[in-house]
Amino acid sequence: MRPLDPDRGHSPWSDAWHRLRQNRLALAGAVVLVVLSVACSAGPFFSQSYREQNLDLGAMPPSLSHWMGTDDLGRDLLARTLYGGRISMTVGLVATFVALAIGVTYGAVAGFVGGKLDSLMMRIVDILYALPFAIFVILLMVFFGQNIFLLFLAIGAVEWLTMARIVRGQVLSLKRMEFIEAARALGLGRRRIIFKHLIPNVIGPVIVYTTLTIPGVMLLEAFLSFLGLGVQKPMSSWGVLIKDGSEKMEEYWWLLVFPCALFSMTLLSLNFLGDGLRDALDVKASKD
Amino acid sequence: MIRFVAQRLLQTIPVIWVIITVTFFMIRFVPGGPFTSERAVSPEIMRNLEAHYGLNRPLYRQYLDYCSSILHGDLGPSFKYPTRSVNEIIADKLPVSAELGMWSLAVALVIGLPLGILASVSRNTWIDYACSFAVMLGICVPTFVLGPLIILLFAIHFGLFNASGWYSPIDRVLPSLTLGLFYAAYVARLTRGGMLEVLSNDYIRTARAKGAGEARVILRHALRGGLAPVVSFLGPAIAGIVTGSFVIETIFEIPGIGREFVNSAFNRDYTLVLGTVILYAGFIIVMNLVVDIVQVWLNPRLRFE
Repeated sequence: MRPLDPDRGHSPWSDAWHRLRQNRLALAGAVVLVVLSVACSAGPFFSQSYREQNLDLGAMPPSLSHWMGTDDLGRDLLARTLYGGRISMTVGLVATFVALAIGVTYGAVAGFVGGKLDSLMMRIVDILYALPFAIFVILLMVFFGQNIFLLFLAIGAVEWLTMARIVRGQVLSLKRMEFIEAARALGLGRRRIIFKHLIPNVIGPVIVYTTLTIPGVMLLEAFLSFLGLGVQKPMSSWGVLIKDGSEKMEEYWWLLVFPCALFSMTLLSLNFLGDGLRDALDVKASKD
Repeated sequence: MIRFVAQRLLQTIPVIWVIITVTFFMIRFVPGGPFTSERAVSPEIMRNLEAHYGLNRPLYRQYLDYCSSILHGDLGPSFKYPTRSVNEIIADKLPVSAELGMWSLAVALVIGLPLGILASVSRNTWIDYACSFAVMLGICVPTFVLGPLIILLFAIHFGLFNASGWYSPIDRVLPSLTLGLFYAAYVARLTRGGMLEVLSNDYIRTARAKGAGEARVILRHALRGGLAPVVSFLGPAIAGIVTGSFVIETIFEIPGIGREFVNSAFNRDYTLVLGTVILYAGFIIVMNLVVDIVQVWLNPRLRFE
């Protein structure tokens, strides 16, 4: 490992990058994620179709022509798993983005404006926290019908609470700090203070929490699919595959084992990467 | 002490009231009703049913009636299970979930605590890394993945247990293990963190300087302080464990209350939805209170604040 050059100045970001590169688990997580995303986005173009049935073949254990075997309709499980991964990862990313957009705006407004508005907004968050969130998502799903885009929105609408709290806390403590006062003393405008000084300092915790929200969202999607409320057939996601696999595991173990393995591997990598980023950026965010 | 507890319990009344109100109106705005089914029901029967349960009255009236019956400790009749009240359903199914929860909690503590202590005393060695990896695995593999895999391995492949059911004592093993391992991972992670923070304190060095053995330093001096984060986590976690897990109870076909949390929403069983929500919220609030009391007992310094 190349030591940092003491004579040259380096930004906090290059420091963080240096620390992250020393964390082998986080790096391994990042590599696994890249490989899986490439496989899931490009794979379905090369492998057999995920919906092409071959009823004569039926359910076959893993073999050279079908690496993960086939399901009872003769569909290639590898193709289905890659295709399902595509949906699961898309849900993870899009819903997290929704949560990010709501949470950061809400938290920043509450923290920056402060006062009565702040306490009102935070009481609302407290009450939403106390509601059993599974019931909330189920109600939303039943209410809006089972449309995949609404699924993104419903999950995002549930997951923004913690993000709002983190951003609010950060903004609240940052706006009283000396460097903000110094910026004000130098005559900088409010806009410039927000964009040049506040936002860059909030980005660290937001990045960390985002990497930890994606696995949470993917879990929620899989849980909803497990309930039969998530992605609908003939589309599939890892949650759907795991549910189908657990129904047929007595005869065809591979239908359960492979989707479970890929799903768990993705969650594990995201968590290791998130933890590594937290250590690298030295963020004292709550773990959940 | 008594004043503190009474004060805290009084503060929870408005919180519970808001939760009841929000849930009451939220579930009513969802399309469909408790008597909507595939079978066509004649309009007269529908009207009679609605009149019987008071569903034909204005919504605000129903809300006020519900509030007054709650004040009498009556959670109302269930819509989905005719002739049964929500109180009866909870009294019937909660003990099953609670038993499963107690076993799972035992699994979580018996595995989680030693693992966390071991990882913290051997910090940055391969033991620590192995523990951290196991912990991450436990947190990342969700129960609806672990449950079927455990059934596949121990019930189907080795044939040691029944795949599902809740009859003999041996049926408790697999579900408790599945649910407990997830919490064990969290307990281990928090124990490690808490212990590491405490072990760098001066009083630990003092204990060592006095010549106390390593086991005594860890178990007698450090553990008490190191458990603080675990206790904070366990409060709400116990509330969740005891009120049952939908996934575990579905996978292992256990007749507990956890399944009703989700099924009642599907069935639009309005009173049962509210009953389970009140049960859960009540447990959470009580457990948070217990946590605060235990924290003071663990760390007497808090008494003066």
